[in-house]
Amino acid sequence: MSALIEFDNVTYAYPLPNGGRIAALREISLRIEEGEYVAIVGANGSGKSTLARHLNALLVPDAGRVTVAGLDTRELSHHKAIHRTVGMVFQRPEDQIVASLVEEDVAFGAENMGLPPSEIRTRVTEALETVGMSELRMRPPHQLSAGQQQRVALAGVLAMRPRCIVFDEATAMLDPAGRRTVREMMAGLHRAGLTIITITHFMEEALDVQRVVVLERGCVALDGSPETVFADVATLRTLDLDLPPAAGLAHILQQHFPALPDGLLTVPALVEALDALPHHIGQTLIAFNELLSASTTPFIEVRDLGHTYMLGTPLAQRSLAGVSLDVVEGAAHGLLGATGSGKSTLMQHLNGLLRPQEGMVRVGEYTLHDPKTDVRAVRRMVGLVFQLPETQIFEQYVGDEIAYGPRLQGLLGDSLRQRVRWAMELVGMGFTAFKDRFTFALSGGEKRKVALASILALRPAVLLLDEPTAGLDPASHREVLAHLQRLKETGITLVLSSHQMEDVAALTGHVTVLDAGRSVLDDRVGDVFAQGEQLRAFGLSVPVVTQVVEGLRARGWSLPPGLVSPTALIEALSQRIERI
Amino acid sequence: MHDFEFLRFVNIGQYLPTGSVVHRLDPRARLLAGFLLLAAVTAAPRWTGLVSALVVLLVALIVSRIPVGYALKGLLPPLPFIAFLAVLQILFGPRSDAVTPLWTWGPASISTASLLNGALLVLRFAALILALSWLSFCISTTEIVRALDTLLAPLTKIGLPTHAFVLMVQVTLRFLPLLALEAERIAKSQASRGAEWGTGRGGLLRRARQALPLLVPLFLTGLQRAENLALAMQARGYQGGQGRTTMTPLRFRPADAAALTLAAGLAVIVVCV
Repeated sequence: MSALIEFDNVTYAYPLPNGGRIAALREISLRIEEGEYVAIVGANGSGKSTLARHLNALLVPDAGRVTVAGLDTRELSHHKAIHRTVGMVFQRPEDQIVASLVEEDVAFGAENMGLPPSEIRTRVTEALETVGMSELRMRPPHQLSAGQQQRVALAGVLAMRPRCIVFDEATAMLDPAGRRTVREMMAGLHRAGLTIITITHFMEEALDVQRVVVLERGCVALDGSPETVFADVATLRTLDLDLPPAAGLAHILQQHFPALPDGLLTVPALVEALDALPHHIGQTLIAFNELLSASTTPFIEVRDLGHTYMLGTPLAQRSLAGVSLDVVEGAAHGLLGATGSGKSTLMQHLNGLLRPQEGMVRVGEYTLHDPKTDVRAVRRMVGLVFQLPETQIFEQYVGDEIAYGPRLQGLLGDSLRQRVRWAMELVGMGFTAFKDRFTFALSGGEKRKVALASILALRPAVLLLDEPTAGLDPASHREVLAHLQRLKETGITLVLSSHQMEDVAALTGHVTVLDAGRSVLDDRVGDVFAQGEQLRAFGLSVPVVTQVVEGLRARGWSLPPGLVSPTALIEALSQRIERI
Repeated sequence: MHDFEFLRFVNIGQYLPTGSVVHRLDPRARLLAGFLLLAAVTAAPRWTGLVSALVVLLVALIVSRIPVGYALKGLLPPLPFIAFLAVLQILFGPRSDAVTPLWTWGPASISTASLLNGALLVLRFAALILALSWLSFCISTTEIVRALDTLLAPLTKIGLPTHAFVLMVQVTLRFLPLLALEAERIAKSQASRGAEWGTGRGGLLRRARQALPLLVPLFLTGLQRAENLALAMQARGYQGGQGRTTMTPLRFRPADAAALTLAAGLAVIVVCV
């Protein structure tokens, strides 16, 4: 009996414009059996996406053989059957939708199969029900959230009734709630008997599966159950990969509490192991409250801000309805909220791209609700880095790209060079090593850093960051975080939004939570994350440290609820766990 | 202050699903009716025809339950352009020796005939824009695609790749709003880097130069998206129109025929009065 998908010594190289080739897969052999649930992980450039594209004949091997349900993918006449057997959900939700109506899009694949109309209708209805999108079937897809669009894409695949579905970083661009839903759907489909293959940067998603395949430079480096793969911490480190968050935390805690066993991968497992250590539950402490420096006037002040897009047309859409927040000078302020909660709209008000329709906004000495205010001065003081800023790079050379802003400010010659050098060093790019590199030839993480440097070169007093780490691989993610951490120490005021709770916990001191255009929570980061129940209702989640604290508190431990950093957790645990 | 909402008052391309009688007609009937009216407005030789076309369009808007004020606002953005054309027409339009000009200055002259021509031009453009907006309010892009697909189907018999053409239309229509949003996002991000977008400053040359930082990323993301979409379509088994079926076959009912006949009648009136 042959496997559902079989790779036999597969080699593949991408052609380069100069005629050369760059190897992406090197003699890979792999068998995926019917009904398996597999995660494929690896750093950028490890060949994950290339491998994924071989799974359903979007790419065919240069050498070796891929067979899907016994059909060789190099045979063109097999492609129709192969596409029917293995469906695929891609990373960017809006790029994979063909039609301008949800149900039409779901029907696209089934229509390609040449099924009779009534059969297509039945399948579309069923697929939409499976992903819970029946009510939105008559909507245009661009009006849906990213998570909903991803469910539409999945429904389109389901309507073809495949035996296997590949998710190619399908959760990378989603908010916590969207990610949770897609994960639940993958697990549900697997239980229903489908073969599920997920390619992901989120190691916690690799815990849902039965088998993890780790790729490194086009070869299989590790292949086994999550327990065995994630036990090999040393190898993972050399491959530039992270542990799942709970496992990473367990690893840190182990150094302080050596009695903790190995192989703790999930929050419940970690909580249970900690609870099993000899401990006293401690007395209920009143959480130590630092005196808030409430006396100082905030640097950024927003009051009852309201905004409606397409105002005065039948397509008017309310985006903000009563947002208030204060940001102290030199502080790092976090914005949390599900997709569509108004974070981006709010940020655009802070540097004058949008002017308040209702309420007031003050940044430093500038009152933005006053039409006479010079917005250019505000924009010079407040730098805004949009989501996926690397898609806005337009110069050929890195140095020119970063010099664009300062040049418009009138900097020339040596002072311009100095400024560009300074900005590049802030993001850890050597001036001489990088200034003459082609922008298009950089890696994703490097492009992100160029985009960041091009704003920093304007020397803003305030930096607004919209999802600064979205879509990066673990190594680039860690690096960008480290640079932001260092940037904070230069005294710049940071306002950042993120779907990554760990980033917000690591970087910010104060957090405002938005829900449906309103500011619903506004407090110190620990106090916000202490309200896990409420955050989940807003489609958010809490960092892993806070999850562990929640778990221990549920078992009677008297820990202060608002712990977010590993150091604080270790300190709190040290007072309670008896040293052996 | 609203410089960034590029789409705010551009109504052409905005579908408004009001569920009116018009919206319930077969898309082919709507599309053909729209084309007949557009053709009639383009061909109408006299101002009486154009005025009656405007009246027909106003009634059509009301029947389709479109807010008339919103539809009329769509005339505002192209107004300076139309006014400019009208002035050119009045000053430099063809002259006949039979008419004595009211005023002459070098090659420029004004006569009653050229004034009338200018007025005709304004009326014609207003009617054309209204007709186009009405059509796009009442027919969604999906319906256009479905209608085109069946209307053009006979042409495949003489070997034209109509299906590929229709798919091209479909993808373009689907990507236009995305590209507009993308352009808005890029303009905003360049503005955050000191470009002059949205401050109402800078000369013409400077503005033209600023378009480059906007166009390059827009073009690149456009290509990237097209590539992603092609891949996604291939993954869903798309191999051209052969052997494809459709979930919603269209049905042409007597009411559709009646509506189409009415539109044809009105078109004849517009051309002939």
